[in-house]
Amino acid sequence: MAACAVLAAGTACGTTHENSGASTGQPVAARTCHGPTGHYTIGMSQANVAEPYRQRMNDDIRKAAAAVPQFTVNFADAAQDNAKQVDQVTTFVTQQIDLLIISPNEATPLTAVVKQAYDKGIPVLVLDRKVDGDAYTEFIGADNVDIGRQAGQYFANVLLPQGGKIAELRGLAGSTPAKERSDGFDQGIAGHNIQIVAAQDGDWLQDKGEQQADAILKANPDIQAIYSQNDPMAEGARIAAANAGRPDLPITGIDGLPIEAGGIKAVQAGRISATFVYPTGGKEAIDAAEKLLLDCQTVPKTQTLSTQLVTKDNAAQVYDALNRG
Amino acid sequence: MSGQASGPAPTATLGAPVTRRRREFLPTVFKFQSLFGLVLVFAAAVVYSPTKNGQVLFLDSGNLFNVVRSISEIGILAVGMTLVILIGGIDLSVGSVLGLASVGSASLLVDNGFGVVPVVLIVLAIGLGFGVVQGVAIATFGIQAFIVTLAGMQIARGLARIFSGGQAIAITYGDGPGQAPVVFSLLGERTFGGLVPIPALIFIAVAAVAVVLLRVTSFSRHVYAIGGNEKAARLSGVPVMRVKIVVFGICGLLAALAGIVHAGQLNFGGPNDGTGYELDAIAAVVIGGTSLSGGRGSVAGTVAGALLVGVLRNILALRNIDSNIQLLIIGLVIVLAAGLQQFRPASVS
Amino acid sequence: MTDTAAPLVEMIGVTKSFGGVRAVAGADFSVRAGEVHALLGENGAGKSTLMKVLSGEVGGYRGEIRIGGDPVRFTSPADAQRAGIAMIHQELDLVPALSVAENVFLGREPKTAFGTVDRRRMLRETAAQLDRTGVAIDPRRPVEQLRTGEQQLVTIVKALSLDARVLIMDEPTSALSAHEVDRLFAVIAGLRRGGSGIVYISHRMEEIGKVADRATVLRNGEVVAEFDARSMTAAQASEAMVGRPVHLMFRAADRGRPPGEDLLRIENLAVRRSRPGRRDPAGISLRVARGEIVGLAGLLGAGRTELLETLYGVGAKGPWQGRIILGGKEIRPRGPRQALRLGIALVPEDRRIAGLALEHSVLANTVMSIVDRIALLGLVSRRRERSAARASTERLGVKLASLADPVGSLSGGNQQKVVLGRNLLTEPRLLLLDEPTRGVDVGAKAEIYRLLGEAASQGVGVLLASSEPAELVGVCHRVIVLRDGRGRYELDTGKVSEADLLAASMGEGAVEGLVVGGAE
Repeated sequence: MAACAVLAAGTACGTTHENSGASTGQPVAARTCHGPTGHYTIGMSQANVAEPYRQRMNDDIRKAAAAVPQFTVNFADAAQDNAKQVDQVTTFVTQQIDLLIISPNEATPLTAVVKQAYDKGIPVLVLDRKVDGDAYTEFIGADNVDIGRQAGQYFANVLLPQGGKIAELRGLAGSTPAKERSDGFDQGIAGHNIQIVAAQDGDWLQDKGEQQADAILKANPDIQAIYSQNDPMAEGARIAAANAGRPDLPITGIDGLPIEAGGIKAVQAGRISATFVYPTGGKEAIDAAEKLLLDCQTVPKTQTLSTQLVTKDNAAQVYDALNRG
Repeated sequence: MSGQASGPAPTATLGAPVTRRRREFLPTVFKFQSLFGLVLVFAAAVVYSPTKNGQVLFLDSGNLFNVVRSISEIGILAVGMTLVILIGGIDLSVGSVLGLASVGSASLLVDNGFGVVPVVLIVLAIGLGFGVVQGVAIATFGIQAFIVTLAGMQIARGLARIFSGGQAIAITYGDGPGQAPVVFSLLGERTFGGLVPIPALIFIAVAAVAVVLLRVTSFSRHVYAIGGNEKAARLSGVPVMRVKIVVFGICGLLAALAGIVHAGQLNFGGPNDGTGYELDAIAAVVIGGTSLSGGRGSVAGTVAGALLVGVLRNILALRNIDSNIQLLIIGLVIVLAAGLQQFRPASVS
Repeated sequence: MTDTAAPLVEMIGVTKSFGGVRAVAGADFSVRAGEVHALLGENGAGKSTLMKVLSGEVGGYRGEIRIGGDPVRFTSPADAQRAGIAMIHQELDLVPALSVAENVFLGREPKTAFGTVDRRRMLRETAAQLDRTGVAIDPRRPVEQLRTGEQQLVTIVKALSLDARVLIMDEPTSALSAHEVDRLFAVIAGLRRGGSGIVYISHRMEEIGKVADRATVLRNGEVVAEFDARSMTAAQASEAMVGRPVHLMFRAADRGRPPGEDLLRIENLAVRRSRPGRRDPAGISLRVARGEIVGLAGLLGAGRTELLETLYGVGAKGPWQGRIILGGKEIRPRGPRQALRLGIALVPEDRRIAGLALEHSVLANTVMSIVDRIALLGLVSRRRERSAARASTERLGVKLASLADPVGSLSGGNQQKVVLGRNLLTEPRLLLLDEPTRGVDVGAKAEIYRLLGEAASQGVGVLLASSEPAELVGVCHRVIVLRDGRGRYELDTGKVSEADLLAASMGEGAVEGLVVGGAE
């Protein structure tokens, strides 16, 4: 390692600094690859750990990495602050980590600092939300627009084949997934005579979702279903619906976290009509890290994770499958 | 001590200045507590820093400049906050005003195609205006600063969301439509051999101007007098209302400046940006030894306080301390700083 | 007589140091049953410290306290209260938002059977106590709505309700009107008959002679003299306190009325829509000549403070009628800045609340009013600030180690000199003073009077509000007696005595002959 760092300016170190620094977007083997005998420090920069989904992502990474004795993973929490996440990545670079996993709070603000790390020769795995440009090694994530579209199609084909009036509970205003899940849903219901008569921001939170659903149900007692952009808001909406005397109102969520308090269990218990698994990509990230660092192989630029519709019929099965690791 | 008084001079005349000097040492420590604290934390950081290839990572010049860059926005906010707290007020709106300014900058640059200079002027004017309106509400209607700026915090956040249509605005650079002039990207860059970040330079300039202003202007005397005893200040002919309005105006202006820096650093204007920054700024001011009851403190202390937090965060991150433990430690430092103020040699009444 | 009675409480060789400073040095002090024992001394002589030791507020002393001959050691005021010792503080330690009754019973509220506060009993007992003390205040009123003097009465009532056998009163009359002082003395007489012992701390010599049996003088923490209070003269006491002979008053009236033309004329000044609890001017006419010192007398609530505030532009905001003519021009005071520009300066009633930033330096407090004036384009020169402050503190004889010392560390008298100095630095034509010698020791008092005389001799007109008759008669050329916001009488101090002034304030008969001119 020491020798390689000193000689990095020269050409003696295999895959050279200059090559990886050019950010050509071509898949390249990691400069930091020393095979299975090396020891590697991985930095994991998480946008926040307040959301169960992101906590699960960290847990998935931790669990997968525990099976690889050569890996040590350090976690940092940006607490929903772009500037803080920039600092954390900078600190990781200062620590001279061997690989960076990042789940960006927002795309654009993190682009520059991710590029800095990448240009220094550190392989970068971007999870969940893509940064701009192509200065990263691999993007692993699901497609929010696609999930939204599938949710829309579920409304169009299963819940309200005759069309009808529905309400939408959105995530935090100004966040990319909120917009994407909204846009995708619109595509999914397009041409099916389904009308979104009310749409409010629930900030991804259960209590906020309950408040908003409460208000929506008072103003629009005739709605026939609620599309919630995540499971906690859907759970909140269920409480509001029960209070409004409509315990059977169909409500769908997104995320489908395979944890006790997650959406899959809620579907199983009948509180949510259906949810769509939004995979964390944590395990896939460690798999990619193994390929890059231990096997000195390349990885594809993009790995799109597929979603899965969870209904009462398959909830128990999906739950077990996801926890089998 | 008396053993040294062996010169020809009578010991009585020697004794007096010795005790005097000793008495003045302690107040000096208290007066500059954050500076002493900064030195301590810095030394501890050097000792506890991880090393790689024999190099102390903390002392890496890139890392040190990153520390300054990372606190520059909070630092700019904290300078304005120091003024507000010196007059016995508080400004909870600065984080939201930062968000408004960052969204405003991005929107004007990208969506409206304004040049950099007009954008900076317009955004600064918005911040100034916002602060002045809050100052007027506080000074003329006598509503508590806490309440007014709590409302201002919500209003500025709401404006930021309305202004941006609820969507974050990414800034791309170039000459085309929907692109910002390349000059603006300077805020994310570094100068002097790619080492010194521009935001850090802006912070240092703001702090330096504030330090000088708080030393030599009659305005500064008014600020301290109001914080020391507002009633006495008014009866002594201090233009209390005007000073309050100006102070809140400056605080709003600096929040807007920090917002411009924020947008430039991240190439991004998010309506939710700056959430909670007001509390970080207040923390820097408190650690800097400024009394929340007003009339006592300094900008230099605040700068040292902000740096102290920055160094502390940095070394904790370098050591991979869990982020929740980091919160705990920063909290303890705030309590410690405030607690030290209690031991400050009190004025006997 | 009670002189031979065994002491209720005895302090023997008590020494207490703060840091390196000895506040009390080997003091002996005792209180007998049925005795009023006056404790005299300049500010900083150790009176308050000695009494705080006795009332359990200050620990860590050397020496001994005995009650009924048994040695005791208090660790808290509650401790001392259980032993029957209570102290009424100079500072008004009341909770502003709570009612009079709630303040009186603070921390020992009577409980009902359900464990809730028994409000009715609290109100009833407070009302009874107020009645016994002769104070006409509604026990349900929040303390913050009361005037300073009334608040002081509440603290006294509060202490009385503790049924203490030894009651320590620290400057209990500093905010009381002459009439209320008499009431208090009647209460003290009653307590004394009941066998209580009272320690009475005051700067007002004439009160000591009236109320006390014995007087002990402290200087630099040591007991330097003990007098029979009834035969002690003011000169004797002052000399013991200061350590040298003092000439307290100069008699301005002896020098004759200054010939100067009128500086200030007030004609029928009345403020409409006065706020409750305030006694705004209700038809006052008066004049002050250049170089003249005019006193404002009257009971508490007669409207002295309100008149000065109106002249300074900080009074009631309501519309007003009448005219104020300063130097031949009609003015309408709108606020301190305008008043100062016109040459009007105010030394406010309570220096700690309205006069000083206590934590700030003497320097900052002294130049507060003139920083604008000595600044050039908004920039202040430290050198000019320093020289202005030094000139002021030297002229006024402020005793200090350094201009950088916090003003709160000075004695009351020196604090007041700083406030006065700040006002004199504005070079006023008209100087308004509200109780400028309250809580000020004898030496500083004399110097403040000297400074007033000096200012007057330079042509400054002075309007001095005071509740000390001796001060008004001794210092002023003329005294206007206010009542209900109107000028009732105008007295020529060359011809009247303190007693006449008191009588005029209370509006009792038989003063007609002394009135040299109705002020209305």
